[in-house]
Amino acid sequence: MAENGRRFPALSLATRNLSRQRLRAGLAALGIVIGVFAVVTLGLLGNALSVAATEELGGLGDQVIVSPAEGSDAESLDARDLAAVQRAADGRGTVVPLKTTGGTVRASGGRTVAQVYGTDSPQALFGNGSGIVPAFHRQGAIVGADVAEDLSLRPGSTITVEGNEYRVVSVLPEVQSISPLQPDSAVVLPPDEFATSGYSQVVVRADSAADARAVADEVDRRLNARQERVSVFSLTSVLDRIAEFFDLLNGFLLAVAGVSLVVAGVSIFNVMLMTVSERRGEIGVLRAVGIHRKQVLRTLLVEATLLGVVGGAVGAVLGVVAVVVTATQTELPLWAVLLPGNALVPLGAFAFGVLVALVGGLYPAYRAAWEPPVEALRG
Amino acid sequence: MRTVQTSPVELAPPLRLVDVSKRYDSGAGGEVVALSHVDFAVAYGEMVAVIGPSGSGKSTMLNILGLLDEPTSGRVELRGQPTVGLTEKQRTDARRESLGFVFQDFHLLPTLTALENVRLPTAFLPGDATDRARDLLERVGLGDRLDHTPDELSGGQKQRVAIARALVNEPDVLLADEPTGNLDRETGTSILEEIRRITDEEDVGVVAVTHDDLVTDYADRTVELVDGVIQDG
Ligand SMILES: Nc1ncnc2c1ncn2[C@@H]1O[C@H](COP(=O)(O)OP(=O)(O)O)[C@@H](O)[C@H]1O
Ligand SMILES: [Mg+2]
Repeated sequence: MAENGRRFPALSLATRNLSRQRLRAGLAALGIVIGVFAVVTLGLLGNALSVAATEELGGLGDQVIVSPAEGSDAESLDARDLAAVQRAADGRGTVVPLKTTGGTVRASGGRTVAQVYGTDSPQALFGNGSGIVPAFHRQGAIVGADVAEDLSLRPGSTITVEGNEYRVVSVLPEVQSISPLQPDSAVVLPPDEFATSGYSQVVVRADSAADARAVADEVDRRLNARQERVSVFSLTSVLDRIAEFFDLLNGFLLAVAGVSLVVAGVSIFNVMLMTVSERRGEIGVLRAVGIHRKQVLRTLLVEATLLGVVGGAVGAVLGVVAVVVTATQTELPLWAVLLPGNALVPLGAFAFGVLVALVGGLYPAYRAAWEPPVEALRG
Repeated sequence: MRTVQTSPVELAPPLRLVDVSKRYDSGAGGEVVALSHVDFAVAYGEMVAVIGPSGSGKSTMLNILGLLDEPTSGRVELRGQPTVGLTEKQRTDARRESLGFVFQDFHLLPTLTALENVRLPTAFLPGDATDRARDLLERVGLGDRLDHTPDELSGGQKQRVAIARALVNEPDVLLADEPTGNLDRETGTSILEEIRRITDEEDVGVVAVTHDDLVTDYADRTVELVDGVIQDG
């Protein structure tokens, strides 16, 4: 009890008492370890999954696709429609008019069916991550990764689309994220190669999901005021739905983990109840020799809380390690686990574990400290 | 050491019972009278033996003297001051400041060393009672057992630690409930000698309760309780 004992008598007495029943204290702390571990792993995994999925689907939410409304006479969008979309998207993103058709693509390596797009600004749609997609597309064909692979195409190869020959000017890199266009199985031609003058769709690549929502509303307002001319398709609401789903999933996982922590609290309650009923006489002596009820209470609460502190710390560390290991062994990206905001999960779980232990110890400690010493001493 | 004869307050006995009765409900509407109209006082430096058969109310009397229990009627005076109406906190403080307890089963904390057990009543107080505790342990012959835990001590040694603990706070009165009850006769005798000697040195009053008459040889005075009533004679 040396120096500490004199400065922190409650802490010193509590640690001594815990060391008396190591196995029992260990089991009680183990409950907290498991509970905190569950909260940390499920919480972190849920967060990381949600972040990774949002990242994966992110490109989707930024796109607004305007196409002729079903049931309207128009087969395609004309220049006026395009102008309206351009005004709606002004300052909020890039507008890419697109001609679309399906077609058979032939090459020396065989034939395949592909989505054929006509646009002069492929970068806006297919990105330029690899630096090989030209900003303006005037001649030749850009082919998607799957098409290139099926037909063994390289830049410089020749393909035939609907009877016309084109030189492959570049091959799109394989696309990781999900997109309403399917670049992997696409062939992108200059728009002049299409016989029609109208556009089958106008894609707006918005700067953000909020911009996409605003553009979609604005286009709808401008073009569909009198009659349903165009259909405006945006995945932002789907993304919202997905985000909601992840929130729900996370909430559910955390609730399950939380229940295991509450169970741990019950086991602390149980252990403290056992402890104080075994030590009734000792507690009676403490009271008899002039130690106040609140000082006894404090000592016992420190005892319970220590179980939570040790169990919570171990559980939090193990949980973080487990999630990091999981991330390195699976598709789950590590960066999504190591986001600074995720530190709140182990910290919060630790705090919750300590709180649960404290609450679990409250009633037993109170009962023991408030018992009249005569009765405690009678045994 | 105390000067006994200066102020009127000092003249009052450190602990006194005035017409104290204690009744317990014994279920079924019945009543057990554990103490009946007891008048009792102990003086500084005096050792009083309370004897009586089992169930005669000795422990009840000691608990009331020790402010651990309250009488059903009558009053308890601590240094001439009535204790009725004290809060639990004040009674706890009064116990720590004025009283020492020795129990039949020692009641040492098993996780603490002898020295720490003796220091225990002062654990939550500012200041350091280590020197006082060591001094007391040396005086009861345990100078070489300071760092031993109770399971490393014999029954007699445990009771000596308990006596040192009861005196660490420089009490006015030491209350001992069957202090020899768990010891063989020889060890019991040496414990009583120890209590007598050290409380004389400290000028502490002693109320020692036993159901045998061993203690009467060491007491200044013996009081007999039968069915909660003090016998004259
Ligand atoms: N808490 C209690 N409830 C009911 N009866 C009690 C209680 N404490 C003591 N008694 C009764 O009071 C009487 C005196 O008991 P006690 O003071 O313990 O006697 P002693 O210490 O002399 O053996 C006994 O009849 C006992 O049964
Ligand atoms: Mg008794």
